[in-house]
Amino acid sequence: MTMQTAMISQLFLNSLIAGSIYALIAIGFAIIYKTVKFFHFAHGVVYATGAYVAYAFFQIHRFDFISSFILAVISSGILGVGIYQFVYHTLQVKKAPNLIYLLASFGLFIFIENLIALIYGNQILFMRPIQENSSYSFFGAAITLTQIIIIIVSIVSLVAIWTFIEKTKLGLALRAVADDPQTAQLVGINSVRLTQVAFFIGSMLAAVAGILISLETNLSPTMGFTAIFKAIIASIIGGIGSIPGAVFGGYFLGFVENFGILFIPAIWQDFISFALLIVFLILKPSGFFGIIPEKELI
Amino acid sequence: MEYQLHLFIITGIFIILSLSLNLILGYLGQPALGHAAFFAIGAYSSSLLALNLGVSPWIGLFIGASFAAISGMVIGYLTFHLKEDYFAMATFGFGLIIYSIIKNWVGVTRGPMGLPGIPQFVAFNSLYSSLIFYCILILLFVLVTIVFMKRIIYSPFGRVIQSIRDDELAAEALGKDTRRVKIMIFMIGAFFAGIAGSLYAHYITFIDPSSFDVMESILVVLMVILGGMGTIGGSILGAAVLILFPEVLRFIGIPDAVAAPSRQMIYGFLLMMLVMKRPQGLMGKYKLW
Repeated sequence: MTMQTAMISQLFLNSLIAGSIYALIAIGFAIIYKTVKFFHFAHGVVYATGAYVAYAFFQIHRFDFISSFILAVISSGILGVGIYQFVYHTLQVKKAPNLIYLLASFGLFIFIENLIALIYGNQILFMRPIQENSSYSFFGAAITLTQIIIIIVSIVSLVAIWTFIEKTKLGLALRAVADDPQTAQLVGINSVRLTQVAFFIGSMLAAVAGILISLETNLSPTMGFTAIFKAIIASIIGGIGSIPGAVFGGYFLGFVENFGILFIPAIWQDFISFALLIVFLILKPSGFFGIIPEKELI
Repeated sequence: MEYQLHLFIITGIFIILSLSLNLILGYLGQPALGHAAFFAIGAYSSSLLALNLGVSPWIGLFIGASFAAISGMVIGYLTFHLKEDYFAMATFGFGLIIYSIIKNWVGVTRGPMGLPGIPQFVAFNSLYSSLIFYCILILLFVLVTIVFMKRIIYSPFGRVIQSIRDDELAAEALGKDTRRVKIMIFMIGAFFAGIAGSLYAHYITFIDPSSFDVMESILVVLMVILGGMGTIGGSILGAAVLILFPEVLRFIGIPDAVAAPSRQMIYGFLLMMLVMKRPQGLMGKYKLW
């Protein structure tokens, strides 16, 4: 195995891990966007809350990791539904323009992010439930058990959510509400209830992503900001509102960021993704698989 | 006394900044969420010119502001066609790009270490007299900004600006070149933000990326919305309230580890509540929705 292939496979692995996390946050964001058609920026803080709740159960209250994980994912889902109910739904009733949702969501994001900072402090925290005794080899690159778990859990979640949306009745109802809430209402679908379902599922996926990344890196109150930004970028690249697009965009972003360091120093990773956002917004706002016509975006 | 003068100067700088955003957000109705970027461009260009080439701050101020205006023009040109929330995301992304450049281009900006020893406008030996001098300088700049903004807003051009906010299609139907107007307003707004940045850098004498991050952009947006979009008085009030209010927290004696996040929490809560319940702000005429 040459150095070259070892490096390429390491980059491939890093891209896969980053891409999986991005795809998970982005798919949650996309499910919500598809249903309500506005930017749920506070999705990022739901992601951070998931990680912190898991941390609280696991590290502070000494629950076992699986229970902490499940409790954190469910409470994040409830947080998502609460945000919808108390913030967005009130605005929907008053028929607010899209920008208002975004600004209110920003405000909420800042509020919860700093609430986390107030409770847990600004320092970074670690959560390491898995004992790393040795790493495995992957085409010359080293991979840890945690990383394997991250990749597997992400892919299983992505497949599960896709099956749910495409194959179940509830998923069908969700798509009906996303396509046309009025008509869905006419055929007896409670669109408010279904929007709550979308928020519940989307927020749970964000929490899964937040917990998984905390196993590999760390927790900090500001972790949600980068995450939501990456999710928005992934969604725009894939085509805003498209669920397969969000997954594609997540992996695309993961690969571009990581393979980008072959050409540009690693500190510019974030710069690459912000630049991608601007490029797509300007040149191709509907992304690769956009389901919303270009003229509605510009 | 020195502390009050310091607060006066900082408030003045933020009044210029919020007035410049108000032109874009309040009068033109474009939700620009990356205004700290222009503030940063003004601050960094005139500081770097002064530190590396020995350019006088008086000249650097206008060069920095012109750089900001040029970037405003470029951003305006690239994003003017985007719809409200996409425009918001694009300008937000632009703010992040500028932040990322000043943070990572260590060779020029020294990154997170910041730029120390930026020369002041006029070097007095005594701190007190230089503070008084700065107060007068800032006051002058604030007045010039207010007069300039009023001149724009109450001119025929100003009515075109507001007609774009109220009904862009109608403005276009009347033969107004909305694209040109938008780009010009971005330029003017960016120019004044650049002036504010340069004034800030040459007053504090030290800048680092943390003064120009996303929260700074959101804070200015909050100033404009809190005071009331589309009013000059609103921007002044909004800036004054949000700069002076944290000092109250400090005055009560809350420890810093609690005060910093609580302040941000209040900002977040305020932003959410304002857009939901009182989009016209404290003294606004124009309702966001």
